[in-house]
Amino acid sequence: MTESKQRREFLKFSATGLALAGAAGLTTLNAQQAAAQAASGSLLPTVLERGTLRVGTGSTNAPWHFENDAGELVGMDVTMGRILAKALFDDETKVEFIKQDAAQRIPNVTTGQVDITIQFMTMSSARAQVIAFSRPYYVEGVALLTRPDAQEKTFDQLLAKGSGTRVSILQNVDADTAIHEVLPDAQVLQIDTQANVIQALEAGRADAAAVDLSTVRWLVARTPDRYFDSGKSWRSMLYGAAMRQGDPDWLQFVNTAFTIGIFGHETALYDAAFKEYFGAQVPERKPGFPSV
Amino acid sequence: MDQIVYAFPFLLQGLWTTILVSAIVVALSLVIGAALGVGLVYGPLPVRLAVRILSDCVRGIPILVLIFMVYYGLPPLGLRLDPFWAAVAALTLFKAAQVVEYVRGAIGSIPRGQMEAGKAIGLIFSDRLRFVIFPQAVRRFLPPWINGVTDAVKGSALVSLLGVVDLMHAINQVIGRTYEPLPLYLLGAALYFAINYSLSSFSRVLERRYAFVRE
Repeated sequence: MTESKQRREFLKFSATGLALAGAAGLTTLNAQQAAAQAASGSLLPTVLERGTLRVGTGSTNAPWHFENDAGELVGMDVTMGRILAKALFDDETKVEFIKQDAAQRIPNVTTGQVDITIQFMTMSSARAQVIAFSRPYYVEGVALLTRPDAQEKTFDQLLAKGSGTRVSILQNVDADTAIHEVLPDAQVLQIDTQANVIQALEAGRADAAAVDLSTVRWLVARTPDRYFDSGKSWRSMLYGAAMRQGDPDWLQFVNTAFTIGIFGHETALYDAAFKEYFGAQVPERKPGFPSV
Repeated sequence: MDQIVYAFPFLLQGLWTTILVSAIVVALSLVIGAALGVGLVYGPLPVRLAVRILSDCVRGIPILVLIFMVYYGLPPLGLRLDPFWAAVAALTLFKAAQVVEYVRGAIGSIPRGQMEAGKAIGLIFSDRLRFVIFPQAVRRFLPPWINGVTDAVKGSALVSLLGVVDLMHAINQVIGRTYEPLPLYLLGAALYFAINYSLSSFSRVLERRYAFVRE
């Protein structure tokens, strides 16, 4: 054997090993996923045929999507997924939650990794240009969290204290404007992370923490001895689920399921979740005029 | 302290994922990187060129971009990986490119005369590598490689970007429920340190083991 031939043989061996190692890692092709992608037309029959719904959501933000003390994924977003599964299969457990990062909410929908993203997604016209939003299932807003043992804990008391009121808020370009819309004289403390915004309140460096309305409700419902809801919320934002564009049947189905689940004859899941995660009763639904 | 005791059981699954991801990435990248590294040093021109281009490209791309490229870029080509394997494949690719360079450096630093001496006593190519070059090169390969292994453990936290629950993501899950970050971050730091410190201790043992020249 000549030298260069030996060398080629040796390298051929390495190449085979390489191919094998690669193949071992890359063979987890899910047949169902492949079928779902190959099928043309609407997702609705594909999902029905598959027998489970694939929902993309997160696992790190209470009360939207988080793991409870038993390690189960729960939250308002998760409940919306269950409402959808119930509408599809009359069984709220036939749903697979695919954990995803917030940055993956749109790409996972457009590439078909999930059937729908339900992950506290603010409906905006910019996003609506790339994905299709469902009807809103919650109206988020900014609210003021205070301490139950503080001198000034209601919104009127905070307003009356004028420039003596200090409000912590997550750093952003329009943080000052947002606070001064409702508390024109307050001092604004811009802080780097959401957890530290709340920490500032606890440490007494702020009289109120400006956070999402849902966060205020969740913290107050869970630990009423530590947190208090000042009773003010403003700046509405709509939360909707995201789907792929160009599938009117699927979009229409999801909207119908959500509307029935929030306003119709099957509101038990929504009501229970609203009570558990926001500590509040859903307003009474009156038959007659369709206020949906 | 209560928080740490409360959180620990929730982190075990994530800790296991971190260890599993790191172990697979380290093992695969070692095999692939060593094979490609040898190809880069001794292969014919087309192989050398291909490995050089691959290594330079992969090392020039941020791991973050690489992870998303594998996860979103492969399905249109007919290869659909679940998040775990997509992340592992991307991290392996990145680490393998580094191993290629460690191997090239280690072999390149062995004097040319060693190869020629091997030839002179009639050893075939694979035997020259096995008995002459590799035993010497491995000593120069180990320190940077172990350093790279601890990097792989820390880098494995990136898998959470695809929704895989590793140690870091498990920590964030508990914070997302309790809104008390500091004790959890301290616990996370301690766990990562424990893994990496045992690795570097082990590496010192390995380096000592290979430090002498076998007669």
